[in-house]
Amino acid sequence: MTLEVDVARAAAGANVVLLAALIRVWAGSYRQIRSTQTLGTLLFAVLLLAENLLALFYYVTAVSLPVAAFRSMMYLQLLETAALAFLTYVTYQ
Amino acid sequence: MEAVLWQVLAGTRGGPNRARLLHALDRRPRNANQLAEEVELSYNTVRHHLDVLEENDLITSSGSDYGEVYLPSDRVRHHWDTVEAIVEQLDGVES
Repeated sequence: MTLEVDVARAAAGANVVLLAALIRVWAGSYRQIRSTQTLGTLLFAVLLLAENLLALFYYVTAVSLPVAAFRSMMYLQLLETAALAFLTYVTYQ
Repeated sequence: MEAVLWQVLAGTRGGPNRARLLHALDRRPRNANQLAEEVELSYNTVRHHLDVLEENDLITSSGSDYGEVYLPSDRVRHHWDTVEAIVEQLDGVES
């Protein structure tokens, strides 16, 4: 069980780092180009960041969940990390 | 194309500079060297931006030798109002 917890925490932590990098670019975009497009993208990233911070909080405090539930959450978190990694790569082109 | 335009010109790190380059090419088609002088970026940076713009079908080139000239693609011309909406907010762009 502790492996799943560690992996989930690491994935959520990685998501926070990737989203911070994305927000850095998208905040700059919004500052230069004011539009619903750039604002929407920025807000999307900020909300996703809030989601991952909340997940991290749960992974740190609520580890008495059943193993199966935790494993599912871990996989979801890992998928999100993969998605964000790809998006960060594309955004930094 | 709209989503691609927004991402390539406004949603990525080099986006605003690519928008400036696209705008410059619309005013006068030119090659990478001439562009680098005009927008005051290094040749390698301009080269990278041109590759991204070409990959995303925002510009085309005529000629395939060292001095190939770039110009906006037909597809991007159909969405030029979006390009203008982005470019007019940037500093250092003459309209």
